[in-house]
Amino acid sequence: MLTLLKSWVRPDAFHTVLSERGPRWYNACLRITRDADLAADAVQEALLKAWDRRHEFRGDAALDSWIHRIALNAAIDATRRRKTRAEDELDEDGHEAAPASGPESDYSLQALTQDLSAAMQRLSSMERQVFVLKHIEGWRLDEIAESTQTSVAGVKHALFRALKKLRVDLQVWSNES
Amino acid sequence: MISDEDLMLYHYRELGADERARIGAALASQPELAQRLHKLVARLDAVSTTAEVPVPLEVQARWQAALAGAVRGEQRTAPARARFTNTRWIAAAAGIAMVALAVTFVAMQPKTQLADNDARQPGARQAQPAESAAAGTAYENGLKFHLASTERQIAALGDATPEERQRLIETIIGQNRLYALAAERAGEPQLARVLRAFTPILDDLAHGRGETTAANVAQLSFELRVMQARLAASAASTNTL
Repeated sequence: MLTLLKSWVRPDAFHTVLSERGPRWYNACLRITRDADLAADAVQEALLKAWDRRHEFRGDAALDSWIHRIALNAAIDATRRRKTRAEDELDEDGHEAAPASGPESDYSLQALTQDLSAAMQRLSSMERQVFVLKHIEGWRLDEIAESTQTSVAGVKHALFRALKKLRVDLQVWSNES
Repeated sequence: MISDEDLMLYHYRELGADERARIGAALASQPELAQRLHKLVARLDAVSTTAEVPVPLEVQARWQAALAGAVRGEQRTAPARARFTNTRWIAAAAGIAMVALAVTFVAMQPKTQLADNDARQPGARQAQPAESAAAGTAYENGLKFHLASTERQIAALGDATPEERQRLIETIIGQNRLYALAAERAGEPQLARVLRAFTPILDDLAHGRGETTAANVAQLSFELRVMQARLAASAASTNTL
């Protein structure tokens, strides 16, 4: 078993998983940071941290998943360190309503994509992070609370706010009143 | 009345056992409630599905260089982005070697219907620089591992379907364009030209038109060896800095 674990943390294993999964880590971090430089830095930080701590890798998960999680934590930390002024200015209820007009019959994919993107952009930094970590990454609420340095209740509250905003924003697209 | 929030917590498996059992029973007995949860999840899935953004070439090179530096135990506190100026050749070399590996692999496939000599000689000639790139000390460790990984992926295509093979080659073509662009920006138009010259050949191979490309492969493989020699010399000089 020890031999197996050692084989997992050899340099070529890191380089291989970087080549194959680096884009996935990058995009995951980008969803957290919404900043290409921060996302790239988060992945690099995660790589180096994982290499330094490779003796801690237990092998009960894929190396990819392990580094992925470290990268997300690095992205969360980076976002905390460098919040954008616009995000800071948004209070909890500072979200603008979705367009009031009804759905067009020829609603284009491009318009849909823009609406979806706009919906995400109207989330505060905390709401977006919690939603991404919960809905996309599948983290537990207590894991999110630990990483974002807040309480489980706070995470749950942010998640509910995010869900409410996203539901409202997507009314136009979903053809529902 | 079960709220959307409770439905989502049920979906996320974040409820206690009792509450989970209660909502589970309600979902089983109330189709409209199940439909509501389904729509809610589908809507949130839609908003969270975004197109994947390609990783910029310089960022990939930076990651590989940083990891290679860590593996070597080198000091890592220097600004990482500044290292790319010394690694532009590494990125370009990776592009060349990847193309060479791909051409080698595909040219040796029976599918190309080349005559034995025409099919094997270019491949055999091109394998040499790739091998030397993997084994030589002039290149960064990151490049070596990256090439080894790529080589494994290509070698694994022996059992691939034509569709899978075509996808791989198209991927390599895409990466090759990026490396050519990087070479051009690095002030290496000759290297960029060689990289770009491989693109139509790869495209022919991807679409089963390999029989028309043997002569071009031979010519380009010669230019490839020249470029590899230059790369080795350049890398050796930068390593001494």
